[in-house]
Amino acid sequence: MTTTDEPRRPDPEALLAAANKARRGRLKVFLGMAPGVGKTYEMLRTARRRKAEGDDVVIGVVESHGRRETEALLRGLEVLPRKPIEYKARTLMEFDIDGALARRPKLLIVDEYAHSNAPGSRHPKRWQDVEELLGAGIDIWTTLNVQHLESLVDVVLRITGVRQRETVPDSALSRADDIELVDITPDELRARLADGKVYVPETARLAADNFFKPENLTALRELALRRMAQTVDDQLIATMREKGVEGPWAAGERIVVLVGGDAMASALVRTARRLSDMMMDAPWTVAHVERPNQKPPSPAAQGRLSEALKLAEQLGGSTVVLTGDDVVASVMAYARRNNVTQIVIGKSRDSRLRELLGRTLATALLRQARGAAVHVVTERGVDDGKAPLVDMPPFSLAGWRGHAGALVLVAVTGAIAGLLDQFATGANLAMIFLLSVLGAGLAFGLWPAVTAAAAAALAYNFFFLEPRLSFVIGHPTDVLTFAVFFVVAMTTGWLTGRVRDQSLRTSARASAIAALLASSRRLSGSATRDDTAHALADQISAAGNAKAIVLLPQGEEIVPVAGAPVLEDLGAAAMAAARWAWEKGEAAGSGTGTLPQTSWTFWPLQGVRNRVGVAGVEANMLRPGSDEEKLVLALLDQGAVALERADLALAAVEAETLRRSDRFRAALLNSISHDLRTPLSTVLGSTTTMIEYGEGMPPATRADLLQSVREEAERLNRYVGNLLDMTRLEGGGLNIREDWIDVRDVLMGAAERVSRRLGKRHIERDFPPDLPPVRLDPNLLEQAVVNILENAIAYSPDDTAIDLAAYEDRNNVVISIEDEGKGIPTAELERVFEKFRRMEEPTDRTKGAGLGLSISKGFIEAMGGRIAAASPIHGDHGTRVLISLPKSPQRPEITP
Amino acid sequence: MSAHHPRVLVIDDEAQIHRFLRAALEAAGFEPLRADTGAEGLREIARAAPDAVVLDLGLPDMDGRQVLIKAREFYHEPIIILSARDRETEKIDALDNGANDYVEKPFGVGELLARLRAALRQRLHAGEPPPPIVKSGTLTIDFPRRLVTKGDELVHLSPKEYDLLAKLAQNAGKVMQHRDLLISIWGPAHVEDTQYLRVFIGQLRQKIEGDPSEPQVIMTEPGIGYRFVTDDMFRILPQA
Repeated sequence: MTTTDEPRRPDPEALLAAANKARRGRLKVFLGMAPGVGKTYEMLRTARRRKAEGDDVVIGVVESHGRRETEALLRGLEVLPRKPIEYKARTLMEFDIDGALARRPKLLIVDEYAHSNAPGSRHPKRWQDVEELLGAGIDIWTTLNVQHLESLVDVVLRITGVRQRETVPDSALSRADDIELVDITPDELRARLADGKVYVPETARLAADNFFKPENLTALRELALRRMAQTVDDQLIATMREKGVEGPWAAGERIVVLVGGDAMASALVRTARRLSDMMMDAPWTVAHVERPNQKPPSPAAQGRLSEALKLAEQLGGSTVVLTGDDVVASVMAYARRNNVTQIVIGKSRDSRLRELLGRTLATALLRQARGAAVHVVTERGVDDGKAPLVDMPPFSLAGWRGHAGALVLVAVTGAIAGLLDQFATGANLAMIFLLSVLGAGLAFGLWPAVTAAAAAALAYNFFFLEPRLSFVIGHPTDVLTFAVFFVVAMTTGWLTGRVRDQSLRTSARASAIAALLASSRRLSGSATRDDTAHALADQISAAGNAKAIVLLPQGEEIVPVAGAPVLEDLGAAAMAAARWAWEKGEAAGSGTGTLPQTSWTFWPLQGVRNRVGVAGVEANMLRPGSDEEKLVLALLDQGAVALERADLALAAVEAETLRRSDRFRAALLNSISHDLRTPLSTVLGSTTTMIEYGEGMPPATRADLLQSVREEAERLNRYVGNLLDMTRLEGGGLNIREDWIDVRDVLMGAAERVSRRLGKRHIERDFPPDLPPVRLDPNLLEQAVVNILENAIAYSPDDTAIDLAAYEDRNNVVISIEDEGKGIPTAELERVFEKFRRMEEPTDRTKGAGLGLSISKGFIEAMGGRIAAASPIHGDHGTRVLISLPKSPQRPEITP
Repeated sequence: MSAHHPRVLVIDDEAQIHRFLRAALEAAGFEPLRADTGAEGLREIARAAPDAVVLDLGLPDMDGRQVLIKAREFYHEPIIILSARDRETEKIDALDNGANDYVEKPFGVGELLARLRAALRQRLHAGEPPPPIVKSGTLTIDFPRRLVTKGDELVHLSPKEYDLLAKLAQNAGKVMQHRDLLISIWGPAHVEDTQYLRVFIGQLRQKIEGDPSEPQVIMTEPGIGYRFVTDDMFRILPQA
């Protein structure tokens, strides 16, 4: 099969693109009660009429079975060529779905809705092909016999004794926009059969005679008619709903079907669906009661249960798992809460004793079900395997170590009993043997405990009951002792063994829960998409004990980003399945209805809002319905949410960055606009004043104007210098030339540079006589200090002091600059070193653009120092800026 | 103060601007008054009732626009706005809110004083009939006779061209916004059709300017409108 896999595979991308673009096509089903009623004939006749009316009608596939009337109808219609598919050395001519998608007619005729495709086709079932074609916007007409409906499988089996293998889910019929019933009477059909007008394969001649019995046909006809009537009802209801008619259709029937892990589960689900059909599609729920204090169901029962729940979802029902030890109470509580009117239960065989006592589930429910009808379904017609009466771990000698261990324990206790023989009576010795049974139960489980019980009883009899060393029991009282001992030993072994097995199972479940918890912690701890994807792949791989892969969207495509144990290259087939899962939002690959030939299964990762990616598992390792599969599915949910969160976080960060850079640009523009133009205004204004009116001006005024021009030119120079410094800091062009310097020299230089701008303020210097030299760039430090001093000048009133100090503090030399301005609000302290941060209303607006402090910070940090601001420092006002410079580990060599 | 020394209030937060404006205004025969904030400016307008106000739109305490709107509730003398070149909407908004004119920063002091004089003169002649004849360089417009001459030559204008030129000349010295020109010449339906103006101003310049590529009579105020400049007005040559 695998050899023919690749060439047969269509181009999934093209398919998907086509499938997603178009509107959904309309589906019309020609429904009949049995083969031979003329569905295909009727369909083709109608199709010809449509063709004659000018519609684009194409035959996708029609089985004429050599009937001449049918072939006559096909003449003149465009028929798509079939596609050869090699299967087991035979060539099957199958419907070519890719050809149909490429041809894209308005109306496509696809016969036999329930047909199973040849293995290796894209979809296992033809109804899935039809679904895809509808999705691509092509109208489809098809034919269906009522016996192929999934929910009727049991009924049909009962009626005809034939189990249908080719089935169509009921939902596939519900999706039909139109259903046309092709009906003839059973007698007519039989007449046609007798005339050889009904195609029956030679091999099935005998079965056919059985099938076409009048009573069968009548029953099937009733089924078909009822299904048709129901569709008419549905359409009526839909119309009423559309027109807003409040009607009795909202009568509020609600059905609950109670299932367990027994063989009836699936049959019960089908019964519920039929009941729902009869009650105008009343909502129906499949309920299972989990009893926490009962032993967990066997794997087989678990499998049947999950099968039933899955079936329920396929048939359009909802499912619920209730918890409670009292089944009746749990169900009734649920029923009352949800206004349930119909309760369906199965009558299973292990309740025969209870039945005699009048204590069956049915009678208990009937007693309590006020207002609700209780339907009891018997198990006739269920051809499933018989469920074992009691579920227990299968007995096997494969675990021979447990049994051997149990025997060793019995031998040890026997020896102890022998030692104590003189001091103890027979009953006490028996108690010692019991110890071995308990021990075996706890250590090895149920079956070894039973072995130990048997061995202990025999050993006790053989060694300690008179006559000794024989299995004969002498005293009649000893018979009683032996019997009691045997029962007690067996019971003890049974109970302890079960306790152990159960606790093992509990701990297995606990470890699964722990795995989930751990993964949720790891997933929520992952910051980025990729981290999350890797965490998810690891967790899935560990939980499913299989290879796992996570694919995330990148542009239009999805690409593998994380794999466990390692990221492997997916083949083209697996990638196609992954893409399908991504585009369609449904599982694809092995074990699903789409591209099942690959070894991987892919699930979409569905977040709360969006589909965020696809996760895949090398599927043949995962049993459907197993704990591993459940754990993996739970992990997928968690992973999807975590990935979505990571996406959202990323989007938020991007938005914030964008917002910041926007704000920055606005601040920069504003700064340039104001801080360049204002000094230019003064320069231009002053010089033009001199030009226009300089002649008659007093010399003092002229000097003042010239002074003003100079000051503003200097201000411009400072601003341009700041912008350049900023650019160098940001652009990485900062060139640090380190040298051994005395901080005091730098501070005096800085004070000198700002002296002309001090006005009526003055600088208080406080330098210690001795200060260790530090190694850094003196020019950068001076500029940093100048900027802080200018800031202090700009924000402090006249006649105040600015304190400039330096001192040694452990491994640092600290520079402190204090002013008596009005201070900085605490909330702003953190941000005064940001670019273009400027306090409102400085007393001197010649200060600058709010770049100075951010440049100081940049310079100081570039040299390995730190800078911080504190405010207020004098009661309610004043600001202190501290610059901390690290002392160098080694001193400069001083050569005298 | 006497009419010989009109008092001009400068509202600006920049000390340096006050510094040279005071010198320039005094030298040009005005009496300068000073306010550093918007609130102080409004108080000074109310208290001193200056003959004109120079208002910087970028004030620290309140939006200069708000100062303008509040002032116009009780003050009717000329207000000249100081604004940056790239803020057309700000200028248009100021004109709509009652500013008489604007000067772009950075500005030469001559330009500001010319605008100030023009505004004061318009205020002085408000209510009087417009002068029958307006001159600019060699151009003469005789309104009663609808005659336009350049030197000795008669200039032939289409009716729309004449209407446009007359509208500008009657408001000589003042910036005329695109919108106002369009409404008065072409009607309210054409308020958006600034391309009309481009075409007609271009034709007018061809006919009345000595060198249409360097207009001396009809000046363009980018993004705002046009201004008719007369002889007695301080002519501002484009900055190099």
